[in-house]
Amino acid sequence: MSRGFNRLLDAVVRIDVREIEFNDGAKRITGGVGSGVIISNDGLVLTNAHVVSPQAVEISVTLASLERVNAKLVGWDHWTDLALLRIDLDALKRRKLSFATADFGDSDDLFVGQTVFAVGTPHGLTRTVTRGIISNNNRYFEDSRGVNGYETGAFNTWLQTDAAINPGNSGGPLVTEDGKVVGINSRGYVGADNLGFAIPAKVARTVAATLVKAGAVTRSYGGIGFRELQDLESFYALSANTGVLVANVDVGSPAAKAGLRAGDVVLTLNGRKVDGRFPEQLPPIQQSIASLPVGSALKVGVKRGDQVVELLAVTEKLESRVGEEWAFEKWGLTVRKVSRAYARENQLPETTGVVVLGVQPGYPAAEAGLARGDIITKVGSKTIAELAQFKTLYEAYEAAPEAQLVEAQRNRRISLYVIKP
Amino acid sequence: MSCIRHSILAFLLAVTAAAAPLPEQFNERLKSVVAVEFFIQAETERQPVTVLGTVIDDAGTVILPGAAIMPNVAPAQLRDFKVYRPGSSESSVAVYLGQDAFTGWHFVRLEEKGRAGLVPVTHWRAAQADPALSDELWGIGLRNKDEDFQPYFLSSRVAMMMKLPQKTVVLGTDVAGPGLPVFNTAGEFAGLAQPSFGQNFLMFSRNQRGNPVVLVNVEESSVVLLASEVLPYLGRVPKSVTGRPIAWFGAYGLQPMDPEVAKLLKLGNQSGVVVSDIMKSSPADESGLQERDIVLAIDGQPLPRLKPDRVVVSYFGQEILRRQPGDTVNLSVLRGTTRVELKLKLGDEPKLVREADRHYFEKLGFTVREFLYNDSILHRTSPGTTEGVMVHFVKPGSAVATAGLRPDDWVREIDGAPIKAYVQALEKLSTIEADKTRAEFVLLVSRAGETQVLRVKLN
Repeated sequence: MSRGFNRLLDAVVRIDVREIEFNDGAKRITGGVGSGVIISNDGLVLTNAHVVSPQAVEISVTLASLERVNAKLVGWDHWTDLALLRIDLDALKRRKLSFATADFGDSDDLFVGQTVFAVGTPHGLTRTVTRGIISNNNRYFEDSRGVNGYETGAFNTWLQTDAAINPGNSGGPLVTEDGKVVGINSRGYVGADNLGFAIPAKVARTVAATLVKAGAVTRSYGGIGFRELQDLESFYALSANTGVLVANVDVGSPAAKAGLRAGDVVLTLNGRKVDGRFPEQLPPIQQSIASLPVGSALKVGVKRGDQVVELLAVTEKLESRVGEEWAFEKWGLTVRKVSRAYARENQLPETTGVVVLGVQPGYPAAEAGLARGDIITKVGSKTIAELAQFKTLYEAYEAAPEAQLVEAQRNRRISLYVIKP
Repeated sequence: MSCIRHSILAFLLAVTAAAAPLPEQFNERLKSVVAVEFFIQAETERQPVTVLGTVIDDAGTVILPGAAIMPNVAPAQLRDFKVYRPGSSESSVAVYLGQDAFTGWHFVRLEEKGRAGLVPVTHWRAAQADPALSDELWGIGLRNKDEDFQPYFLSSRVAMMMKLPQKTVVLGTDVAGPGLPVFNTAGEFAGLAQPSFGQNFLMFSRNQRGNPVVLVNVEESSVVLLASEVLPYLGRVPKSVTGRPIAWFGAYGLQPMDPEVAKLLKLGNQSGVVVSDIMKSSPADESGLQERDIVLAIDGQPLPRLKPDRVVVSYFGQEILRRQPGDTVNLSVLRGTTRVELKLKLGDEPKLVREADRHYFEKLGFTVREFLYNDSILHRTSPGTTEGVMVHFVKPGSAVATAGLRPDDWVREIDGAPIKAYVQALEKLSTIEADKTRAEFVLLVSRAGETQVLRVKLN
């Protein structure tokens, strides 16, 4: 192996995470293992968003020297499935430990058939190297709940490789023979062989740069769901290489307010021609909207029937479908705030309320009849618009427990429940 | 003391002595019992159905349990009704008369020549009092068609009484085939066997160690609707095959009020239904009823506390359905902490799926039906929009199935043209189907709030 490859091996780490989970009506700590790669001398580690999330309470990094140090989450972006950590440098200094850093390669230069290696901790097997080729360097793979229930893949395409990628490989690097990081291994098809996916280094570098500065990536939201035209051009009487189909428009979104409708064909965005004939062309189109500053004007050139019209939308800040989660332990109840995306998916008119994630059998919430999936909209006479209101009401209950009337909806059916001490 | 006891015993003996022996009663009452066979004709399938029915009058009218026919099946799909006598392989032709909204019963009528020898269940003296706990009741079961619907005797004792909301008794074991009459030992008509309740069992097998399963006996039942809840309604023979008129309230997602909630709201033993959803310009909407209101009483009659809690919703539903469109109803409602009195004029139930116009495009491989008021509820659009058509059926393997069309998709556009009316969709699709040179067409459909463009390749 090349010298570069050996150095790369010294930059790959194992990551052990303990994080809070709110699934069963109680706050529980779960553990997980993943991989990561050190990308800077000041101890930044790049890994997957689904390996380390903001709910992590303890992150421990095992260096190539097999020494363990703690790390902290610096930034998180589920859309690209990336998380950035920083190793505890003081501890490192104290213990006189050192590490190597990895270099990025240019993921745009990859060709199909090129040999690549995946390095990581599959199934907890530290420092495993597997070999394969680039199977496809521009794979479209969007998943609305791919990162622990969060959306992913809307703004980037993926590198596909047949280098074996197993659970625990997540967050480790995909590297060339000379040890350059060209991707961050992220996922494999369950039940398939040798179908692995990695975030291209180009995306990873940009996102990491933003995360180190801001801790998060702010994106613009238009509310347009695109679908590839794929030989529908003749049906829509379009000239070659033009246009993308609007498959759906989120209710109440900037695009909806601007008058965009499903079935429209978008020809231009802010004057620039769009070409969305194939699925892998969709993420760049979404990215061109997402990368606008929040509150930007978005001029959408639309073909509707025989007409061509220009609509004007103003972008909003992109939000995740997963709202804040919390546990009300004395009630045996865990909840998640209804987000805009959740409300839309479930055709709720507004984002009022919290979704029940779980109830603990025998506890007051379960006894009252609440169940997973119920949306609690009112406690007593107070409408729950924000999770904070619920927390305040709960604190009042903790101070002086007395029966509470709770209003919840299930499939738009409103029921009343009583939570008793 | 002993003298009194003696005289009671003597009285009882006299009653029993008056009744014919059970085998004799059984043979007589078989004349009120039939098996009914029919077919549900779908686009590509013809599904045979066999149910049990009770003869209710001299005109050869037979009632069948409500569950015999799924609510979305159009009357035109119901074909070839045949009526079999117990123990016979001979059948007589019958016609379908429709379903009564209040009782749920389906009514069929035998052709005249097939009525001979039938005895309406009303011919038998009705039990004057509701059966008491531990009273013995008996009934008839019928074997399947391959055994010529051979009748057999069942009997059991009353184990408990319930209001569901109608007076219903549950017996210790199965007492009759569902849909067939049940009698007391004096031969009096005691009630009608209902579809049986599910029973919990644990299933043990080589791979499963005591997995809970619910089993429902479809051939016999231990649940009996009492005669006093049956006899008054036998006259509700539908005037038309649609079952109309059907009274309409216009509020949806009614939920029972939990007893704990009633207690917290200081409503004592009062029950109620919580209103989840009110359709715009429905009778409920026009009366001023609001979402989250709790209906406590109808026409001054407080909603009773029934077990299980959800029965109060059926109670309220039946209170509406027993009335006629145009009837006025007074509701007492709890809104927040204040009581509100509302007056409401019941409307006519909007067109039901089973009444909707539909058309099967055999070559394209799907059925469309008109978009109904009830569809706008499901799709959460403002009611009254007649835009688009609904996909009722998709033939597996057909061109539209390959393109990804699914039943219950809402077709908004055909070949880029918005569909404003059902007839417009028919015209467009007929033209496409007739055009042999057509290579493809395009549908814009909505599914669970998301819209998709489907490209259908023909040939």
